[in-house]
Amino acid sequence: MKKLTQAIILGALGLGAQHVHAATISKSLCVGSLSKTLYGTSTTGKSVTFWGYSDCGGGGMGGMGGGTAIVPGPIMEIGVNDTLNISFSPMGMMTMEGAPYNGHTIHLHGADVQTMEDGVPETNGNMVMGDTYTWTPSAGHEGSYMYHCHVHTVKHLEMGMYSAIIVRPKNASGAFLNQLNANTTTAYDYSQNYILSTVDPAYHTASGDSVVFADYNPSYFLMTGKEGKSTAAPAMTLAAAKGKKVAFRLVGLHSTNATFQIKNGSGVAQPFTVYIRDGRTLPTAKTVTSLDLSPGQRADLITTLPTTSSTWYPQITYKKLRANTDGTYPAYATVYGKVTF
Amino acid sequence: MYKSFALIGLTLTLFGVTESAFAATQNFTLYINAGTLPITGNGGATLNVWGYGTTAVPVVPAPQLTVNEGDTVNITVINNHNINHNFIIKNVTTDTSAIAAGASKNYSFTAPVAGSYVYSDTLDSNVNREMGLYGAMIVKPTDGSQTAWIGGPAYDHENVWVVSEMDKPRWNDIAAAGFVVDTATYKPNYFMINGLGGFDAMMDMDTMIMGTLNTKSLVRIVNAGQFSHSLHFHGNHFQVLSINGVRQPTPFEQWDTINVPPMSTAEVLYSINQTGHYPMHVHTAQCEGANGVYLNGAATMIDMQQFTEE
Repeated sequence: MKKLTQAIILGALGLGAQHVHAATISKSLCVGSLSKTLYGTSTTGKSVTFWGYSDCGGGGMGGMGGGTAIVPGPIMEIGVNDTLNISFSPMGMMTMEGAPYNGHTIHLHGADVQTMEDGVPETNGNMVMGDTYTWTPSAGHEGSYMYHCHVHTVKHLEMGMYSAIIVRPKNASGAFLNQLNANTTTAYDYSQNYILSTVDPAYHTASGDSVVFADYNPSYFLMTGKEGKSTAAPAMTLAAAKGKKVAFRLVGLHSTNATFQIKNGSGVAQPFTVYIRDGRTLPTAKTVTSLDLSPGQRADLITTLPTTSSTWYPQITYKKLRANTDGTYPAYATVYGKVTF
Repeated sequence: MYKSFALIGLTLTLFGVTESAFAATQNFTLYINAGTLPITGNGGATLNVWGYGTTAVPVVPAPQLTVNEGDTVNITVINNHNINHNFIIKNVTTDTSAIAAGASKNYSFTAPVAGSYVYSDTLDSNVNREMGLYGAMIVKPTDGSQTAWIGGPAYDHENVWVVSEMDKPRWNDIAAAGFVVDTATYKPNYFMINGLGGFDAMMDMDTMIMGTLNTKSLVRIVNAGQFSHSLHFHGNHFQVLSINGVRQPTPFEQWDTINVPPMSTAEVLYSINQTGHYPMHVHTAQCEGANGVYLNGAATMIDMQQFTEE
């Protein structure tokens, strides 16, 4: 109904031509379990069980939990005015809690869809044992979004049921533009998705309305599913040409405070320009050397690499929710990326 | 049950010759006492609190003080509790000295520029505040308009959300019993909006965003807790009007999640642009529950209707 209304309005405005290259992108997602060996501050790895979304392909309801579950889940890219259709089939008793938190959903975080597409079981029309979700992002809504399970979110998101949806501008032929939005000033040569998340292993073994969920003690800190505990062992790497522009899409699926910076080999923070927050272009782009990203937020930004070869380390510092008496937030850990050019 | 209390002894003294034709004198009396705050529903408990109130029964959060820009405000705080307390409106009053047990103190000031302010007891390393001694002061524009400030964005409805959290076993139980709290450790297990767990806040008409199509809600967020709170709105983005009293340049940025650090404020404008029912919740894992019980934490509802329900 909403899509029809949009089409009528766009038609009345003479903008219907924008729909000529609008594509329908169908995805089938399932749920599976997996384990990751995480280290944190220990030299001895600990196996932590996750639940992840999997791409179980082929349309329909996706069969019986096919595909390989990953954390974060499949990253989906769609164009402005495209319609994303997700068929979701959360079968499999190994990846569910008991009632009342049985089943799973997909919440299209930031998409502002109708209630019945929102994936919140406590509101009307959202099924937890399989459902479809549809979203058609409008022009001007380019940027990073996220999706995650909204059943007993305190556990299910922590378990790894999350990932990113990237809404990209398209050219007249319907091909993706390497720009953050329709404005050519946001052009980039490379892009990387930095999905922030944190792990408290106690949340992975508890279930139901346990008192465990009253106290969050993360011991592992991830960037797009990986621990990158040092510049020598980064979570994300990019080999780029010097002088080029690199876009970073920050997606906040963590449960702590966090700060993003890009430092050079001497530890000096480098400037970057934030063009989009939460899927909306900023009226005035902001060039900064540090950006705080809180749980649920996203940011799309670009940095320009120098014309001489070097290595930069984009990094996320995860911080406590409670400040010190001096107003600073104690750090848990820093997770590193690496860009060589 | 957020108590927005009626002005006590409002004196409509018009200053015909001053710059503000509507400036009035507003008198408030607040009493400090020990009391309780019930969090109802699963996971709930009766929390021992200390609070400000308009009677001998304290309320958490404290009574909302609503004044107009330029008003002369006189606040008498009477400490009927058995330890020292104080009363500070952040960025407004400066007297941090203690009010001894059984004593009282008067605070007089000219109401500052329109906006949202937080007041609290700042003594004892956040213990007094954590126990419930906090509230909001809302300053409205002098022209009587439903705008965030004169010439600022207009709104149809208004919500004040005082967000906070409490550590029952390690802080409230200990302080209420007269013992010393180990302030190095803070593991709050109750998270509230307007002193309500989510089960109540999701049905509380003063807390919920409720509106009909094409109307706007001004949401004033006051974080009186010790944690940063990252509030995520479903259903629509909002415009960020002010952060900690700093009015943002226009056009306003549009976000769907805002981080409000401890003892700071934010004002956002949420437009009802579709119909439906949506949650608004803090997106940080533990903050969504009451002692671990899901959704009885810092959460409320957004109720967007096509027409006014008769």
